[in-house]
Amino acid sequence: MADAHVPQGQEPYRLEMTGISKSFGAVRAVRSGELRVRAGTVHALVGENGAGKSTMIKILAGAEQPDTGEVRVDGRRAAVGSTAGAIDLGVATVYQEPQLFPDLTVAENVFLGREVRRRGRVDWAAQNARVVELLELIGLPTSYATSPVRELSIAERQQVSIAKALGGEARILVLDEPSAILTDAEIEVLFTVVRRLVATGVSVVYISHRLDELFTIASEVTVMRDGETVGSYAIEDLTVRRLVELMVGGVPVEATGRSDVPDAPPLLRLEGLSAGERLTDLDLAVRPGEVLTLYGLVGCGAAEVAEVVYGVRRPTAGRVLVDGEPVQPRSPRHARALGIGLVPPDRKLQGSFSFQSIAFNIAAGNLPLLSRAGVWVDRARERRVAREAIDRLSVKTPDERTAISAMSGGNAQKVVLARQLVERPRVLVLAEPTQGVDVGAKEEIHRIVRGIAEEGSAVLVVTTDLGEAIRLSDRLVVLRAGRAVADFGPGASQADVLAAAAGETAGAAA
Amino acid sequence: MSTSTQHGESGARAPGRPEGRGPSRGGGLARVGSTVLRAVLTQRVLLLVVLLVLVLGFFLNLSARNYLAAPFDGRYLGLALINLPPLVMLALAELLVITSGRGGIDLSVGAIVSLTGMVFGLAHGQWGWPLVPAVLLAAAFGALCGAVNGGLVAYLGFPPLITTLATYYAFSSLAIVITSQQPISTAPIQDLYVLARAVPVVGDVALPLSLLVFLLPTVVVVWLLLARTAWGRRVYAIGTNDVAAEWSGIDVRRTRFLAFTAAGLISGLVAVVTTAQFASARPDAGTAGNGLALPAITIAVLGGVAITGGIGRVSGVVLAALLVVWLNAGILLAVAGNTGTQLQLLALGAVLVAAALLNGLAVRRYGAVT
Amino acid sequence: MSAAAPAPPRGSAPRRAAGGGRVLPFPVTGQELVLVGVVAVLWVVLGLATPAFLSSGSIVPLLVATAPIALIGIGVTVVIISGGIDVSVGSIVLVCAAVAATAMTASGLPLVPVLLLSVAVGGLLGLVNGVLVAYGRVHAIIITFGTLNIFRFVGLQVFGGSTIDGIPPVLAVFGRGEAGRTLGVPHSFLLVAVVAALAWVALRHTAGGRHYYAIGGDAQAARLAGIAVRPRVLLAYVLTGLLTGLAACFVIAQGTSTLAPNVGLGLELSAIAAVVIGGTSITGGRGSVLGTVLGALLVQTVASGIIQLGWPSQLSSLFIGVFIIVAVGVDLLRQRRRRSA
Repeated sequence: MADAHVPQGQEPYRLEMTGISKSFGAVRAVRSGELRVRAGTVHALVGENGAGKSTMIKILAGAEQPDTGEVRVDGRRAAVGSTAGAIDLGVATVYQEPQLFPDLTVAENVFLGREVRRRGRVDWAAQNARVVELLELIGLPTSYATSPVRELSIAERQQVSIAKALGGEARILVLDEPSAILTDAEIEVLFTVVRRLVATGVSVVYISHRLDELFTIASEVTVMRDGETVGSYAIEDLTVRRLVELMVGGVPVEATGRSDVPDAPPLLRLEGLSAGERLTDLDLAVRPGEVLTLYGLVGCGAAEVAEVVYGVRRPTAGRVLVDGEPVQPRSPRHARALGIGLVPPDRKLQGSFSFQSIAFNIAAGNLPLLSRAGVWVDRARERRVAREAIDRLSVKTPDERTAISAMSGGNAQKVVLARQLVERPRVLVLAEPTQGVDVGAKEEIHRIVRGIAEEGSAVLVVTTDLGEAIRLSDRLVVLRAGRAVADFGPGASQADVLAAAAGETAGAAA
Repeated sequence: MSTSTQHGESGARAPGRPEGRGPSRGGGLARVGSTVLRAVLTQRVLLLVVLLVLVLGFFLNLSARNYLAAPFDGRYLGLALINLPPLVMLALAELLVITSGRGGIDLSVGAIVSLTGMVFGLAHGQWGWPLVPAVLLAAAFGALCGAVNGGLVAYLGFPPLITTLATYYAFSSLAIVITSQQPISTAPIQDLYVLARAVPVVGDVALPLSLLVFLLPTVVVVWLLLARTAWGRRVYAIGTNDVAAEWSGIDVRRTRFLAFTAAGLISGLVAVVTTAQFASARPDAGTAGNGLALPAITIAVLGGVAITGGIGRVSGVVLAALLVVWLNAGILLAVAGNTGTQLQLLALGAVLVAAALLNGLAVRRYGAVT
Repeated sequence: MSAAAPAPPRGSAPRRAAGGGRVLPFPVTGQELVLVGVVAVLWVVLGLATPAFLSSGSIVPLLVATAPIALIGIGVTVVIISGGIDVSVGSIVLVCAAVAATAMTASGLPLVPVLLLSVAVGGLLGLVNGVLVAYGRVHAIIITFGTLNIFRFVGLQVFGGSTIDGIPPVLAVFGRGEAGRTLGVPHSFLLVAVVAALAWVALRHTAGGRHYYAIGGDAQAARLAGIAVRPRVLLAYVLTGLLTGLAACFVIAQGTSTLAPNVGLGLELSAIAAVVIGGTSITGGRGSVLGTVLGALLVQTVASGIIQLGWPSQLSSLFIGVFIIVAVGVDLLRQRRRRSA
């Protein structure tokens, strides 16, 4: 694997981003961003959520304009005014979710909007010849050129996205967390592709949370933290542990967990739970009054745990026990009937009734409780419940009639949470409870979650946010590649937890 | 009727206006003007009331100056309402189905009217069933037809537009084949014409009996269902976001199934109304010409029902139907003969397109429309 | 690394290597093959049941009657692939037929100008739809429900409240009679075959045609890919209008010398039925004109067969309904299997 590494210092810089800063309203996403990538190398860009990586990438891709700083390509100052401008400069970006049209063929997807034409018709032969070259380059069977994209696996679609990005003669390829949704075997294929590209002189900016894989693929690493570039390092000079320490810095997270949760039989137990290839043989027990966080990188299997408990995914093995009784939630409705409260990971898609009022949003999940004889809505009670929730969760709104789509992310999330609290749930499962929520509201939501636990519920939090995992947990379980790899008490160190999740082998457990 | 603030029935405040700013805060006429414009554009019921006043004012004015073939007065307006019951009832059926979301629409309501009309005609007119059991049979049979739609759409995942196009064909074909094209107009059926007669209400204003016996109860029941029951909340919930509804523990499929079934039931009742109006059970009662489904959908959309689901109220639909019926009645007095009837088509189409474009404008300008 | 020497396919390569012959997936879909089979079986069965069915006296009217629905269906197919719908085509037929018939009876207009006039009027009405749908940001079904009524008004105005009588046989070249066919093949159906072939090539082999599939799949993403979505969508409705204008001439030619003001009524539903039976997805992004023509043929075969069998003609609607449900159901099953695979 070392053969992929180009000895550093010999290649000139292909890309130089210096003195970059960018604010969104009052939030300074990037304060001093620096990124220098050599020609024909893989350069990793790492940092915690909110460190400023994605803003740097958006600036490079022309999707955002920097407030200060400059971008140089091959030593020349480049004005990346728009996405089209970035493409002209040879910058191609592949995002995590492939933007492809499933009913069109691979070749068509690669050339969509810039078809090769001859006498009014698409010149399929010319187009396919080029696509066949690209497919060979990225290591897909050339016969795929004429296959509809829907016949391809997720990994293959991602490779097609890369081919599409390369179709415009890219010299700088940005891969935004390409491995998050792939299996180990698929990641190997991806690496092969990346190495081939590098061999042809393309520079790759590789963003990933899976730190262990960087040692396989990257030659240099730039670390960002809180909107600043901490530094750039040759991969040989680093270890996973050192990288983790650079990412989290020295400031410890203020933990709210307690080590003195009263001993009681667990309210929620998972025994030998497996779900396809994503989750293998997980045992977990959450006692009343306890907050257990399940932390891991995207694709680690934690999301699947939440889905099984919510009743939207059937486990392939193992069982779920609530209050000692084996239950298998068949649907969210069934899960709720079992006393499980669920806050879904995607607030907009799965959580909120956008143009409806706060009261409606809370009532929608509690209609049997809020109606007389199961038929007539008790409107006075509906209003009262909404007002109580607004007070209790300090939702900022003039009254309960405000539409949820008119509220900030944090307030909307409180409303989604409130829906689960009208009746105190025995077990509360929250997935990514503070994604897209500002710092103030985040702390409030954490306080609310702790409060729920202290009232005697068992709380399971599934999160990819390291700070949140540590701050909230009485117990913290780290998942990696579908298995529980470490178990921490309250107040674990960020570096320890991240190292366990990112793949430092052996001795991670506290 | 349902203009009171119900938060369930899309009484939510529009986004982009979280603080309840009233016109009192700003100064000057311009500000008041823009507030009024905004209210009219974003609140469909208000817009419809304004339009209704304009239409009535226009024709009353013409009437006062003797431009019309007959006086456009209370009596005439009352008589014109004979056309209201089928229109409003089927538009309410569409309200239920469209509001339930996922592209919900029912093209088959007219065909259900035809088919159920024949079943009702057979039961009441030939088999000698008394009126009340025959009406109940019509309701049940209509509901059964609706349940076929609902089952296909909600449980098997068929697209509503195509499903109801298919059942439109099937039901309308059965309606014609069932009696070999023969209408049923035996004595018991002819006696039903009493339902279309007008009964005096105030002064010389008289209302058709079917309006009192069928329309009013349907309006009240549908309003109660949507605004006051848990099921109504579920309909708005699945129409707004059926994924979130599923995650909230709502039985999405059952709710949507019931919406289609209810639409069928209402269509079954309309079959009785049209049979009474024609004094005959006709196999093409709901499918002749453009059929009854198209005007019903038009009225629903004009009444502010969002084709994307989750938005729509009974008051808007009733007002839209009144607007269309009285506009049509006025046109008939103003323009004689065929041209008058044809102008009604133009009015219906133009008002629908204008309202839809206005909706789009309001959404772009103010963020949301209720 | 040249196209001439492709690397050997590895793993479960879906189809044979590219670079050489085939450039797109197999041109005929499963649904179309099934339709060919169903139509063939029906013809054989009907031929056995009523020997008169397979005679030219029976097949020619069948093809003639198929022509207008297939022609309109081709336009509607493009509209539906782009993610829209057009329910106003029946009213467009009314307007075009009224204008063309009036022009022939009142001004004695000859064949070619009549065709051009009808097509132009259709295109104009399609333009109205297209502008409103593409630039009005309102769902196509609402717009076209509205224009359905407005166009109907226009058409009835042209009719002036009665039938149009004494239409000269200018359009007999598209009729059921001897003048309407060459070597036993009806001209109208021939024209449909030509238009279908052109549309098939355009949808399959031109960039603009492929863009309709992208727009119907995801309009937003298509816009980001640099496709001019609105002009494309506009064009689909104009095209539908033009074809509907031509179809109106077929409708006149099929009838007697009298045209009634109910012409075109409900034709939009027949066209949509043909499109859906042909395998085009009502939600957009997938479909073909070949399927639509077959769908129209199936619908007319059933209608004609039922008459030949002496069954009540209205029974054919029941079969159309059942066919739609079966076609959509099969498609749903296939999608579900694909998803679980």
